[in-house]
Amino acid sequence: MRISTVPTSPADTTAQPRRRCVDVPHNAWYAAATSDEVGRAPLSRRMLGNRVVVYRTVAGDAVALEDRCAHRPVPLSSGRLEGDDIVAGYTGFRYAPDGRCVAVPTQANVPIGARVRAFPVHDDGSFVWVWTGDPNLARLRPPPQAPWLQDPEWVTFGDSWVTQAPLRLLLDNFSDITHVAHVRPEVAPPALVAGPMPPLEVTVSETGMSFARQYPPVPVPAWQAPMLGVPADEAYPQREEGEFLSPGLWVDRWHADTPEGRASFVFTHALTPVDETSTRHVWRVSRNFADSSAATGTLTPLMDGYYRAVREALEDMQRIVSEDGPRADVLVAADAAAVQVRRIMDRLVADETGTR
Amino acid sequence: MTSPTPTVVNEYEADVVVTAVTRPAEDVVEVTMAHPDGLALPGWTPGAHIDLVLDHDTVRQYSLCGSPADPSALKVAVLLAPDTRGGSKRVHELTPGATVRIRGPRNHFPLVSAPRYLFVAGGIGITPLLPMIEEADAAGADWHLHYGGRTRSSMAYLDRLEQYGDRVTVVPQDEAGLLDLATILGSPDDRTLVYCCGPEPLLQAVEERCASWPSGALHLERFSPKAVEREGADTAFELVLQRSGITTTVPEDKSVLQAMRDAGVSVLASCMEGTCGTCETEVVEGEIDHRDSVLDPDEQESGEVMMVCVSRCRGARLVLDA
Repeated sequence: MRISTVPTSPADTTAQPRRRCVDVPHNAWYAAATSDEVGRAPLSRRMLGNRVVVYRTVAGDAVALEDRCAHRPVPLSSGRLEGDDIVAGYTGFRYAPDGRCVAVPTQANVPIGARVRAFPVHDDGSFVWVWTGDPNLARLRPPPQAPWLQDPEWVTFGDSWVTQAPLRLLLDNFSDITHVAHVRPEVAPPALVAGPMPPLEVTVSETGMSFARQYPPVPVPAWQAPMLGVPADEAYPQREEGEFLSPGLWVDRWHADTPEGRASFVFTHALTPVDETSTRHVWRVSRNFADSSAATGTLTPLMDGYYRAVREALEDMQRIVSEDGPRADVLVAADAAAVQVRRIMDRLVADETGTR
Repeated sequence: MTSPTPTVVNEYEADVVVTAVTRPAEDVVEVTMAHPDGLALPGWTPGAHIDLVLDHDTVRQYSLCGSPADPSALKVAVLLAPDTRGGSKRVHELTPGATVRIRGPRNHFPLVSAPRYLFVAGGIGITPLLPMIEEADAAGADWHLHYGGRTRSSMAYLDRLEQYGDRVTVVPQDEAGLLDLATILGSPDDRTLVYCCGPEPLLQAVEERCASWPSGALHLERFSPKAVEREGADTAFELVLQRSGITTTVPEDKSVLQAMRDAGVSVLASCMEGTCGTCETEVVEGEIDHRDSVLDPDEQESGEVMMVCVSRCRGARLVLDA
């Protein structure tokens, strides 16, 4: 007797997992990895509660698939690449870059409809952006851009890690960096503590927010003065800027206007929710001055120390919220930027989940 | 009183360059605008509109009718309306190369995710629905557009809509009369959202027909204020701006918005007549006398937000998150 293993109806092997990370938009581009992390070895990442495996085809195109074999719940990333395809470890099922199962080890025919989810991908040379929302809408939302990361005019260093705190807490943090003076006084520019805060200028559009503070002349940080070749006690106008480009990309800038011209830092933060309580944070510090490894050697421990201190503070906040429950924050006028970002995030979530 | 931490909130504003002017229908111009330095313009979602700041006293709202997929261009289509306030005439005089100031985008007519949509357009009201249709169609939603207009030649974008086949019903009044709203909206359905934009009589008729629909099903956009019934004379009340830590008074002859600004608190606002939704502010406490044309009856009932340019407080005390 011959027993057919072909299902009578196409297998629904791409069933949507239960919806996770309900307070962030899924119809948005998030960085699955930096472009240099993705190559000819499968890389497993968790994004917005989805298991994602990213790799490159022979031609170098980035591919993002659900990291779960349709046959048994094993990660595809435990397997290997064969040409442009990925072969799951343990089961040996083989999948094409579009998610179709193209070969199984035990029979000539492939079960009808067997596939894994394929996610829209955009590789801009800095980040591999992946869209885990409705795949049909990806083409209607251009990915955010950070062209300075590829620009030889800018010197860049950075690191990445997972912060045990949700995306919303990270966005609140970047919306108001006046905490620097408390978190890491040795890094804080004197402008932040020199006198009364200049007006916070917030600019909003439907899906974006930016803010700026123009500081009257104050000395630059003692660690920056030698890099600019200026005296540490000389005062220069400085400008702080922050920008919510998309839920997954935040950019800060700090400008010092010296007689030599404008010296700028650009701080890039690619933020990717891993799950409800943790967020992948790729940070990059770019500068258009002091192109030397000595300067990078001075800046790296300062910035690394600061971002680690921020991570620790955010993880403390999340620990308190998880243990004792959430409470409404008392907000102040300086939260104007955070309030706008919260509004945008709430609206994006409401529109895509149909709860508005 | 100590002065509040100075915080200024503004909408994105930029001088952009007109890159193309076309005539998609009789008396309608489509104006395409780009950043003068070729930079990306702010992102937006279907249903969004921008202000065209034509001069200090002439600020007009127009729906974006291009595609959010293209961050390099914003498009509006404007009907020449000679008997109104003159904004459309100014837009019709724009030529490629001209500079025009924009503000926004903002969106009080967003496309909420749903399995089915009924789109109802009257005349130039087709504009916000075009990007909505692109998105609904991409998402695989089941949708239908009923598009009414005076004559076929007065109805913009019929060519662009051809690709959608029988999902689109075109009803030129001189050939087929008015939109048959009794049939179109005759079967209330809790899985369908209704989106309507067009002249006031159409909006009113659709509102009446949708009274028997589930609450929240109807979404519509007005660019002229809805008639609001006033109950007696305006009264003064206490205004508490919680976040700023300020308590002040709104006199009977001033708006909440003006009182906030007088207290040194920055508030976004644009149309000053309750139609654009820019000055939406969260209400912490207080009974609101809603006089705007943006919030639907459910949203007004919930009392969570108000448009501070026109709406007031019925009681003695209003507490805002500002």
